[in-house]
Amino acid sequence: MAAIEKNHDYHMVEPSPWPFVMSAAVLVMMVGAVFFMKQWTPWLFFIGLAAVIYSFYAWWADVVKEANDGVSHTPVVQMHHRYGMILFIASEVMFFVAWFWAYFDGFFRFDDVEQYARVAFTGGHWPPAGIELFDPFHLPLFNTLILLTSGTTVTWAHHALLENDRQGLRWGLALTVALGVLFSYVQFLEYTHAGFSFSGNLYGATFFMATGFHGFHVIIGTIFLAVCLIRAERGDFTPQRHLGFEFAAWYWHFVDVVWLFLFASIYVWGSWGVSLSH
Amino acid sequence: MSEAAHLEAHATGHDHAAHDHHTPTGWRRWVLSTNHKDIGIMYLVFSIVAGIVGGLLSGFMRMELQEPGIQIFHGLASMVYGISDPSGSIDAGKQMFNVFTTAHALIMVFFMVMPATMGGFANYFAPLMVGAPDTAFPRINNIAFWLLPVAFILLLMSLFFEGASGSTGFGGGWTVYPPLSTAGHPGPAMDFAILSLHVAGVSSILGAINLITTILNMRAPGMTIHKMPLFAWSVLVTGFLLLLALPVLAGAITMLLTDRNFGTTFFAPEGGGDPVLFQHLFWFFGHPEVYIMILPGFGIVSHIVSTFSRKPIFGYMAMAYAMVAIGFVGFVVWAHHMYTTGMSLDVQRYFVAATMVIAVPTGVKIFSWIATMWGGSITFRLPMLWAIGFIFLFTVGGVTGVVLANAGADRALHDTYYVVAHFHYVLSLGAVFSIFAGWYYWYPKMFGYMYNEFLGKLHFWTMFVGVNLIFFPQHFLGLAGMPRRYIDYPDAFTLWNRVSSVGYYVTFVAMIIFFYATWEASRKKRPAGDNPWGDGATTLEWTLSSPPPFHQFSTLPKIDSTNAH
Amino acid sequence: MVTGQFVRKLGAAATAMLALMPAFASAQEIGKGHPEPGQFHLQQSVTPIMDSIVAFHDGPLMWTITLIVLFVLALLIVIVLRFNAKANPVPARFTHNTLIEVIWTVLPIVVLIIIAIPSFGVLSDQLTVPDGERKFLGANIFSFGEVEVPAASLTIKASGEQWYWNYEYVDDGVAFDSNILGAAVDGYVQTVKPNQPRLLAVDNELIVPVDTTVRMQVTASPSGVIHAFAVPSFGIKIDAVPGRLNETWFNSRETGIFYGQCSELCGKDHAFMPIAVRVVTAEEYQAFITAFKESRDYASAVAVLPAIQ
Ligand code: HEA
Ligand code: HEA
Ligand code: CUA
Ligand SMILES: [Cu+2]
Repeated sequence: MAAIEKNHDYHMVEPSPWPFVMSAAVLVMMVGAVFFMKQWTPWLFFIGLAAVIYSFYAWWADVVKEANDGVSHTPVVQMHHRYGMILFIASEVMFFVAWFWAYFDGFFRFDDVEQYARVAFTGGHWPPAGIELFDPFHLPLFNTLILLTSGTTVTWAHHALLENDRQGLRWGLALTVALGVLFSYVQFLEYTHAGFSFSGNLYGATFFMATGFHGFHVIIGTIFLAVCLIRAERGDFTPQRHLGFEFAAWYWHFVDVVWLFLFASIYVWGSWGVSLSH
Repeated sequence: MSEAAHLEAHATGHDHAAHDHHTPTGWRRWVLSTNHKDIGIMYLVFSIVAGIVGGLLSGFMRMELQEPGIQIFHGLASMVYGISDPSGSIDAGKQMFNVFTTAHALIMVFFMVMPATMGGFANYFAPLMVGAPDTAFPRINNIAFWLLPVAFILLLMSLFFEGASGSTGFGGGWTVYPPLSTAGHPGPAMDFAILSLHVAGVSSILGAINLITTILNMRAPGMTIHKMPLFAWSVLVTGFLLLLALPVLAGAITMLLTDRNFGTTFFAPEGGGDPVLFQHLFWFFGHPEVYIMILPGFGIVSHIVSTFSRKPIFGYMAMAYAMVAIGFVGFVVWAHHMYTTGMSLDVQRYFVAATMVIAVPTGVKIFSWIATMWGGSITFRLPMLWAIGFIFLFTVGGVTGVVLANAGADRALHDTYYVVAHFHYVLSLGAVFSIFAGWYYWYPKMFGYMYNEFLGKLHFWTMFVGVNLIFFPQHFLGLAGMPRRYIDYPDAFTLWNRVSSVGYYVTFVAMIIFFYATWEASRKKRPAGDNPWGDGATTLEWTLSSPPPFHQFSTLPKIDSTNAH
Repeated sequence: MVTGQFVRKLGAAATAMLALMPAFASAQEIGKGHPEPGQFHLQQSVTPIMDSIVAFHDGPLMWTITLIVLFVLALLIVIVLRFNAKANPVPARFTHNTLIEVIWTVLPIVVLIIIAIPSFGVLSDQLTVPDGERKFLGANIFSFGEVEVPAASLTIKASGEQWYWNYEYVDDGVAFDSNILGAAVDGYVQTVKPNQPRLLAVDNELIVPVDTTVRMQVTASPSGVIHAFAVPSFGIKIDAVPGRLNETWFNSRETGIFYGQCSELCGKDHAFMPIAVRVVTAEEYQAFITAFKESRDYASAVAVLPAIQ
């Protein structure tokens, strides 16, 4: 076929195997998930998961290559990426709306007279009878401070990058990753001390679902930042062009803001006036 | 728009090294595709396949409901399960009917309408209409497509695994209300269905991100957002509805999944949960979903009406912002599906008022289409017949929606066939008519051939008669009190059910004509020309060859101020 | 054009049909408490609530939606006749007309407000259990309430089970199950009670007194699924949700048997758990409930009532 002159700045992406491969991997993973949940075999799920992760890796490796080739990611294409990332985060926000909705349904309507089964369960108060809450100003506050600090370290890294201070970039990112790991660890510690479980009660269900999905996002964000750290070590980013880094930072801020809402509404407001034992 | 200016500056500012663009061939062209038109075609083919499956399932339902008593499902069940004892096969048959209804709805909604409009037409034509060489994220476009067959396979697998004890498949309705979808269906069938919806949802969200970005950021120089064709507007609004509504469904069904498999009690009263909470979450998605299914149709119909009237759209701005308004208001009316759940008087009043508001922007659209035709010089070519059919039948479906919006009247009609009639008028006679309108409007552009107009008109008229016969009498059944999701009904409902089933057979014939017409067109290969519709067709896709080159707009088109939408 | 003619004929037929609908609806003679063959109208009302639903539906709703559909159809017909390419070879170019746009925005708003006024009244009646003071709309939905309804004097709790109903006379502490009547033969459920419709008849009807306000409390088995309690000729429909106690009320002015059907998908036998309410005179009810309280046996208690014709 003849080469066609391209007189625009869009990136005409070559055919790629990864979307199809990843879809096939998703099929394996999803079928495997059912098999796993029904306790037939966990393996199919893990094979699928590994294939999905590999496809992510391969796909994004292509994207990184294009980012570095100097021609693919023109300014308008970078603008695409910004739109895409913002829209993705918007959809994530709506995902969390579902968890908050479930939580507030219990929180606001714990003594709804029509719901006799719920009232019998909660004993007419919130948190439900027999649920022992976390002290918000203990580990959760500590974790809030960790995340807030990590928000500043990632901003530090960003400023360093803008000033082409590679050392600052490296340290800022490394610290952020470390704080992210610390957060996950503290969250894990907290979970092991929970006075309620995921199953069998509405409080535990909403609590673990909301904070659990948040924790999952922290892990994703940490990996994202770690990849940026590796790329920074490779010398990938320039003060002018570092979308990958920016998106990791956006994502991190999003995760941070979700935490603030969780902390304020579930931990603090949710335990307002409740006597807590340690 | 500043982006466009910026874009133009770049187009002239840099000198690119000439890239070698090979057109991929064979299976790689399709499977590995990063081409919006090829992906669009794959979506359309997928949609047709799903439409056949969904249509056949509804055929079994209509055959069953043709007479009182249980006609075919006990036989079907005894065939499938190899049950010889008659009362066992009747029991299995009853459940199987519910499984068919559920699968019919899920397939029509997620695998027929959405892939046709937001998958096929939006992918193929939104970039063309805004003057873009492709979509913003071609690889994401590809995975958005390929996740759909994955979701479809998961849904089909669900049919063959145990659901309710002793039978296969999930039979709890497309609304998947717990506890029927949790305790009521302990087997893996429901887990497959849930994961199928997850995957279909991810597919739609990715598609939405791609299309929104394309429309916001890749319009040709000079094409401001207020010069953008209405179909692009409809895709933009629909994209946002998908982006914001689907994650809430994902959350809701994730909670179903954990209630089923990990002992959580989001929706289980014994652990403080509430089944009605699920309904809120579902309909917070579900109501925007119905506009997701119709808005692209609004866009398609706008272009057809203008093209065949040889007249520009009347009230372009109002048309565009009416869709935006429908999108916004669509997010705050969800509980009109829940008037009988025991909500308080004030809450019901609010939802009545909010719901009725949507009739206003929708009316603006109906009347603006009429005003577009008014004074026109109309040729009643095939796409125009579908468009006019759409306008009329959608109005019929819309006004019964307004009846249902009144909680006081919905008390009598909720969960009866009146609701079934309402939503098939807006879906099977609304959304589907707009899909066929789009199909016949853009067929020559997509494939380069012209179909046989007579066969197409035969398809239209047969289908027009057929679907009206199916669904108009269902209003009567609903008024008289026939509940929906019933395999058998009191004998008094026989007459209208018979008429409805006969309507299905007529529609079936119509579908045969459709397939024959499509086959005939592909055999005869009558060249269509770049623009078969004449000077009424003003959008950019008609400036290209039919079919358009593999990569169009290698030099971006410039839209000057006189170019109308 | 052939198409044009066809559209015209079809339009005429549809016009005739739609225009006659409200008239037809009131003309059709229908039985009470159950659907009649070929019926295309709401079931006959025997309560003030259903009176207002029927008046609201057949009145403001039916007329407005019929007129709107006819109006749109008429405009389309005019367009087909006047603005086809032959009749009008040169298209006009106008794209705006502020006045008409304002009209077609404001007019629907006015129409909707006119609908909303009675709609809110009808709704409020349904959700307000009578206290003996409040007046209800009844058939005159544009009034401020003129029908007197006595305060609720009997409370019944209905519980949806898979797949039958359990009824409890709350004040008297007695309860019984109500199952569909009839056995399936080749997939066809046959009725065994004389003169009772197939799929609607039950073994044990819920028995209530006439002219009495009955408070219905509706729930479902805690470990079960959602059902819905509905009796069309009473104008009631309310979900039976596990763990939730919903409330509605009715006051039947006529005796007889009034049928309803489960109205929320509840599994395989969703179509086979009908509701039958037998409204009897106050004296008959007294005799029944006394006997029921004494024997705690529905079958022997119901034997004190006159046989169903
Ligand atoms: C394409 C899909 C689609 C569309 C567009 C609509 C549009 C509307 N729907 Fe519908 N609806 C469904 C799909 C759709 N619906 C589905 C699938 C269900 C059932 C789900 C289930 O339970 O399984 C449902 C159920 C449903 C219910 C719940 C019924 C019940 O379960 O009891 C209600 C109640 O309010 C409702 C209302 C409306 C309204 C007010 C509109 C409005 O948007 C209509 C607006 C349009 C017009 C009014 C016509 C044109 C306007 C004019 C000509 C102007 C003048 C008009 C007036 C002044 C009135 N719909
Ligand atoms: C888009 C949605 C859609 C469509 C098109 C249809 C089409 C049809 N439906 Fe369905 N239906 C639903 C959505 C839809 N339905 C939903 C949501 C429910 C509720 C389920 C529930 O209760 O949970 C339902 C329920 C439902 C019931 C009630 C079942 C019950 O309550 O027990 C019945 C009964 O008659 C029925 C019948 C039919 C029939 C005869 C058709 C016929 O019109 C079918 C004829 C076939 C077609 C018109 C399809 C043709 C399209 C193509 C072949 C694709 C073309 C594509 C391109 C050109 C790109 N449907
Ligand atoms: Cu009980 Cu449906
Ligand atoms: Cu809705």
